[in-house]
Amino acid sequence: GRRTVPRGTLRKIIKKHKPHLRLAANTDLLVHLSFLLFLHRLAEEARTNAFENKSKIIKPEHTIAAAKVILKKSRG
Amino acid sequence: MDGRVGLRASRRAAPTPRVAVRSSPRHRARVREQEPVVSAMSGSGLGKENKAGSSTPLRHRPNAFSELDNATPRVMLRKIIQNQPQVSPLALQTVQLEETEDARPEPPSQRTSSTVELQLPDLVPEDASVTTFRMTRKRKKLSISEFERAADKRLPQNQAHSTLDSTLVRSLRMSVGSVMAPDTVEKRGLLRRPQNHKAIDIAAFEGGVEQNMLQIKAQDYLVDLQTSSMTGTTTIRTDAEVVLNNTELFVEPQLGEQNLLAVEPQLSDSKTSAQRSNTSYPAHEKARLEGLVSRVSTDERRTLRFSEKDLITDHEHVDGITQKTPAKQGEEEQDHSQQNDPMEQFSESEEMAGTTEHHADAEYSEHSEKKLSRKAVSQLTAAQDAGVEMEMTPSEGGVAEGTEHQDSPKAELQMAGSPGGHSPASYSLEKPGAKPLKEAVEQTGEIERGTITGVLDAAEEEATDDESDKEDHESEEISMKTPMFVHAAAYRPQPVLSPPHPVKSASPELPPQPVRAKPVPKSSGAAQRKTREPEIASSLIKQIFSHYVKTPVTRDAYKIVEKCSERYFKQISSDLEAYSQHAGRKTVEMADVELLMRRQGLVTDKMPLHVLVERHLPLEYRKLLIPIAVSGNKVIPCK
Repeated sequence: GRRTVPRGTLRKIIKKHKPHLRLAANTDLLVHLSFLLFLHRLAEEARTNAFENKSKIIKPEHTIAAAKVILKKSRG
Repeated sequence: MDGRVGLRASRRAAPTPRVAVRSSPRHRARVREQEPVVSAMSGSGLGKENKAGSSTPLRHRPNAFSELDNATPRVMLRKIIQNQPQVSPLALQTVQLEETEDARPEPPSQRTSSTVELQLPDLVPEDASVTTFRMTRKRKKLSISEFERAADKRLPQNQAHSTLDSTLVRSLRMSVGSVMAPDTVEKRGLLRRPQNHKAIDIAAFEGGVEQNMLQIKAQDYLVDLQTSSMTGTTTIRTDAEVVLNNTELFVEPQLGEQNLLAVEPQLSDSKTSAQRSNTSYPAHEKARLEGLVSRVSTDERRTLRFSEKDLITDHEHVDGITQKTPAKQGEEEQDHSQQNDPMEQFSESEEMAGTTEHHADAEYSEHSEKKLSRKAVSQLTAAQDAGVEMEMTPSEGGVAEGTEHQDSPKAELQMAGSPGGHSPASYSLEKPGAKPLKEAVEQTGEIERGTITGVLDAAEEEATDDESDKEDHESEEISMKTPMFVHAAAYRPQPVLSPPHPVKSASPELPPQPVRAKPVPKSSGAAQRKTREPEIASSLIKQIFSHYVKTPVTRDAYKIVEKCSERYFKQISSDLEAYSQHAGRKTVEMADVELLMRRQGLVTDKMPLHVLVERHLPLEYRKLLIPIAVSGNKVIPCK
């Protein structure tokens, strides 16, 4: 199964980018949730790309193309 | 016809055609005919078959196979076992087979007796020697000839199978040498082979462990500095780095120490100048810091430090100054190498040094050298003006870089080779490179020495009077470690800038420096631990991504996913900041994150947040996020 959510690491990362920003109690869990869904979308998109290329393995080029799309979609 | 009928009859009874063929009397006759030439096998065997009668190609093969079958180890073993007298599978059996003096006299004496009789007398000597369990050590390998001899002794007993045995023995000799092994194993019974326990050389082992540890340490140090400066790239960039990474055991600890010692004066100097001189030239200081950063992150920094120290010692000899610490000596040299002359000298040496291999590094060092030389200039003037101690080890380091680059390949190899005898070894190396430096020094140094020594004396006094501990450390070589790492840490997070013209870009770069210098020291000052940037564990990313994608993923694709994750976190942190600011708050609340997910299209009217939470998060976290009502007027999480 999945391991525990890296709550401390998440907080550190956000602190690294925005040191003045504070996080409320369980917000990091929701942030992790959004991260999971982001990876989920990325995986789906990459898998679709690989299928279109008739490849059964996800290759970096598939991932890069997927990333461009999904990162754009994930903007607030 | 009869044969065929017989064949059919036998076939009905036999399970396989092979067995049927083998059991057919015709085949048996053939086999007996061809026994003497069973060793010759294929060619002659087939010829004999042809002679035997109607030899269809089909018949050839079964006969040939049957011949071959007879010669299989399995069959031969079976025959041997059948011929051998029945004995218990104890170690005593070895007595019979071994070419021991005990065994030999016995069988010959019993040869004449019949098989049955033989068994008993055989057993007798066995019983007699029950007590002695033959150690297999004595007879490690039984030669085939020995076995044959023993086997031959028993062969005459079985007249019927004598020829067969002889052929068997011959075939043994010829074809299946390895058959001996299972047979001997069988004869030995349940004895194990002697075990060779190799004594572990503890000394060698520990030495190896130490080497590993130090290599790991050195590599970690190297890697860490690189990552901090190059945002996570840990690839070996140049041959120099490879060489450095693979240096000998005894080199690395010294490297580490000397790194500390060498960098300390520079960094401590910069700090002192930052603290003391109000009139410090921001540009130059920043340039110096940059130079330090660049130096820290270059591959040749170790060799640079080496050469620095060597230059220090060189100049000791040259200038005849013996009392001062390397830091002070560095000052002196830098004071000497003052104005444009040294700069020109540096550029000259740089040009000389610029080989194609180290071109990038040479450029790098050129820039840093220029910066440092200019720093030297500015610092000198500042020192003369304000009497501030300006320790010029950076510029000296720059010089060292220039000279070092000339001999960098040689120097590195030499450094690796002779860690102990630095000064003498590299002195000779440094000589050609040091010449221009020395010239510069000597040309400009004469006049300034007087003033500079005065400055240095004042600086020394100041050093002793200085409040900060770090400055006290400056005067001492030994305890430089803390300030060195403090400063090293200060420069690590900063991006490495290598502007083409340091003069121009120097000025805008200073302002962020002092701001950052302060908060960073405390994180890395205490322990000399590498400050790793916070990242999501790559293993977790791999786990999650592969779970969602359900198809194999290349390693490079994972790297890309990691990079995407970093960028994603950067994006959402700015988004969340915007949302909370818009709401007039300084803290990100749950509503902000929900809004983010809504804007991302994850949460819709059809897909509420709680459903997503239920789907994707583990139970323990679900409970935290979704209030569930339990009996007794209790709600989890408690609000």
